[in-house]
Amino acid sequence: MTEHSMALDAPAARRSPRHPAIRALAVAAAVALAYWLPSWLGGSPLTYGFFVTLAIFSVMAVGVDIVLSYLGEVSLGHTIFWAIGGYSAAILSTSWDANGWITAATAVGLAVLAAAFLGWATLKTREFVFSLATYAAAVVAGEIAFNTDALGGSDGIVGIPALRLPLGFAEFSGRSNQELWPLALLLLVLSIYFVDRFRRSRLGTEALMVQMNPPLAIASGLDIRKVRFRVFVVSAPITALAGWLYGYQRAYVGPDMFDMYFLTLMLTAVIVVGRRVLLGPLIGVALILLQQNYFSIGGDGNKVVLGAVLAFVLIVWPQGLAGLARRIWRARAQPRS
Amino acid sequence: MNVAQQLVNGLVIGSGFACVALGWTILLGAARLVNFAHGQMYMLAAFICWFALTRWGLDFTAAAVVAVLAMGVLGILMQSAMSQLVVSQNLTSLMIVTLGFGYMIQGAAGLGFGGSPHALASPADKVQYQIGGIWFTGQDLIIVTVTLALYAGVWLLLNRTRQGAMVRAIAEDPKLAQIFGINTWLVYVAVFMLEAVLVAIAAVLVAPKTPILTSMGFEEVIMTFVVVVLGGVGNVGGALVAGLALGIFTAFFGALVSPAYTTAASFAVLLAFLTLRPEGFSFR
Repeated sequence: MTEHSMALDAPAARRSPRHPAIRALAVAAAVALAYWLPSWLGGSPLTYGFFVTLAIFSVMAVGVDIVLSYLGEVSLGHTIFWAIGGYSAAILSTSWDANGWITAATAVGLAVLAAAFLGWATLKTREFVFSLATYAAAVVAGEIAFNTDALGGSDGIVGIPALRLPLGFAEFSGRSNQELWPLALLLLVLSIYFVDRFRRSRLGTEALMVQMNPPLAIASGLDIRKVRFRVFVVSAPITALAGWLYGYQRAYVGPDMFDMYFLTLMLTAVIVVGRRVLLGPLIGVALILLQQNYFSIGGDGNKVVLGAVLAFVLIVWPQGLAGLARRIWRARAQPRS
Repeated sequence: MNVAQQLVNGLVIGSGFACVALGWTILLGAARLVNFAHGQMYMLAAFICWFALTRWGLDFTAAAVVAVLAMGVLGILMQSAMSQLVVSQNLTSLMIVTLGFGYMIQGAAGLGFGGSPHALASPADKVQYQIGGIWFTGQDLIIVTVTLALYAGVWLLLNRTRQGAMVRAIAEDPKLAQIFGINTWLVYVAVFMLEAVLVAIAAVLVAPKTPILTSMGFEEVIMTFVVVVLGGVGNVGGALVAGLALGIFTAFFGALVSPAYTTAASFAVLLAFLTLRPEGFSFR
């Protein structure tokens, strides 16, 4: 087992040949830079709104990225976890005046439960049957949210109070996008750190082996279904936490959280940059949001753009922008060698 | 509750499900291609028909023919765009590409037809029949008969013609079929065109029964998923049986429990099938 995981670990390890201390320093500098970026860009509420949304959507996409990149499956059910996060924040904070820790813990717990149920139900499915079943689950969950009054029905839940996170000595409050930004960034950094750890972890390497070479995985004594189930369950709370913060940011949740937009956004963000790229979801979401915020051609026009990008990239550059960059790099490096 | 009436309702609803699922079943069987744009193609066909009917003033049959032809052309274009992926059988990518196409079609339809709901008025929907206390419309009658005729036609095409044998050969082993001189590319294009044409026929038959919206595509396909998976993926006869059974289930569930949760109930049936069936529906 260890042999295989080491062999699979090699590409990940190759990417960080530098000294760990230098790497940590570079990451810290990048995070600090990201933290100040909105204020350098003017610090208007609109700028902060853009960055908080960027962080939230990136975290949302990370959940899909884990399943798509490391398991090779297309989960179309992640809007369920996204909505679980939003609805947990909305219902508990408006009806029971719960603070952010409680709503977040509930979001994570419910997302794990939902993923475990869906993962169990789809245990025997693969490929498109898995995608169909997860997609059907999302549509049904959306229909239930739309028709159930306790969940706000078609109107959703309005008036979510500002996020409060008591820290013992002080209290974090997120009344505006500017106040939410440090938390959103922290969530983004943590989720990327999680993926970085995940792909070196035993489960991460097992997932890759299950995707790349199922017979080898079985021969190494792996239970394919167990691996797939675990990866699916692990990915859910990440997307749920993004939905949780999104609920506080908008102060509203509704059945629109099941909208196809979020699903297409998550998938496109991962596909555009390329699968198995650590910062892929972040860069992908950034590109999409830049287009939609600053080069928008209207809601329906943006749908055409998003759908076209998704289809075009897969048809023309199946490895995404990262694959394209690698190809250009190799073509330039070739004459020298 | 009038049991006979619900049975007839279920038969009509089920024929509709089966009709919408037919093109996809063939596509899945022949090319292993999951078309997530199926629902949007259904929506687009309904809107083209509506547009030709109301803006160009064509009669319903002519408008329906326009919609079917337009969708056939779109099918060829879509398949040509992704032919490389289909030939190499890159199924995961294909699935996402069709999702992208679907989102594009939805956006384009929103641009072209606006966001408000419309009614696709079919003259046959106004003709009402009553036999022994059971009510149904002319449109219902057309849905059931055309669906059965289409299934019979497709079955004959696949099992009794040379072209059908080619499709089955490619479904079995694309590379081997190619060695035997079958132009796989052409067959894939033909199959995808058939899928587009069949979904357009389904749309002009079924869409008059409900208001049409450019955003209806994604919800519209969910029953197709259930039908295709329950019927056995790519199994034409299975899809017809699954469609009819699901229609009758839906009618009775709607009448006895709640019409708002019929999709959820159908999904519960699907989940039960996926978990209880020992072999599951996993492939390869």
